[in-house]
Amino acid sequence: MEWYVGMSSRFAIVGFSFFLLFLVSSFYFFLTTDREVAAIQNQEGKKLELIDDLYDLDGKKIDINTITEGKVLLNVWASWCITCLVEHPFLKEITQDKDVRLIGISYKDLPENAERYLEKNGNPYVFSISDFNGSFSLKLGVTGAPETFLIIDGEIVKHRIGEVNLEVWNEKFKDYF
Amino acid sequence: MKSLKIIFSIILISHFISAEQLYSDLSIQEQQRLEYLSDNIRCPKCSYGNISSSNAPISKDLKKEIAQMIKDGYTDDEIFNLLANRYGDYIILKTTPSNNKLIFILPLMIFLISIFLVTTYTIKKSK
Repeated sequence: MEWYVGMSSRFAIVGFSFFLLFLVSSFYFFLTTDREVAAIQNQEGKKLELIDDLYDLDGKKIDINTITEGKVLLNVWASWCITCLVEHPFLKEITQDKDVRLIGISYKDLPENAERYLEKNGNPYVFSISDFNGSFSLKLGVTGAPETFLIIDGEIVKHRIGEVNLEVWNEKFKDYF
Repeated sequence: MKSLKIIFSIILISHFISAEQLYSDLSIQEQQRLEYLSDNIRCPKCSYGNISSSNAPISKDLKKEIAQMIKDGYTDDEIFNLLANRYGDYIILKTTPSNNKLIFILPLMIFLISIFLVTTYTIKKSK
């Protein structure tokens, strides 16, 4: 009987150390490998869905071809959005230095507040689409502000959720300009 | 005393203006569907809660859109699919067992194996 007890405790020790080894190695594996974290899917690869009646901040009707033809950067912004204010100088910089056609979407914002914001901070946009109730942005897949879309011939090529700065620009958009 | 009365009456009135009445043109059944759907759809902005518990502008917009879709006669599955197409499967909080079998099978397997081990051990010991 004694040899049996000895055997089983030895078996338990070996088994337990294998279990520990398994735990340590699996922790090591999952902590060190880069895996894609589950997140909201961005809109890359989709066609730009436009509605017919789009107006700019002055209330003028927008010709949709100005958005769907060629290379356009669409930037979602609002005067109440703090991160938009942070990325604003960078947007001015890229429109000055590079051949970037930047069109704004004024997201859930009163036109007069948006105009005041642009007067105060400068206007890097060719024009801004006024989307007061957010319905156009909702169809586009916008989750908030700021967001930036690169659109080439009506197709969404790149989509950034959040601020665009030099690092993001170099990683996502630089190759296209 | 008079101002106290006014304050109390404001509190009393605001109590009756509840969130449900925002969608008062839906029937009770439709409102229950809206509740069910918005309980099971993740907020795209805040991502750790559903849209019924979120105050983000996008959540309110989505709730409005869902209410409109319910009125337009979409089924629950159609609404789930439409939103999953736009934001990815991550948006849907209600999971189906066929999507991640391992998570449902693994505990069952561990349970069966442990029953097997315990019974063989006790049988051996009683001998």
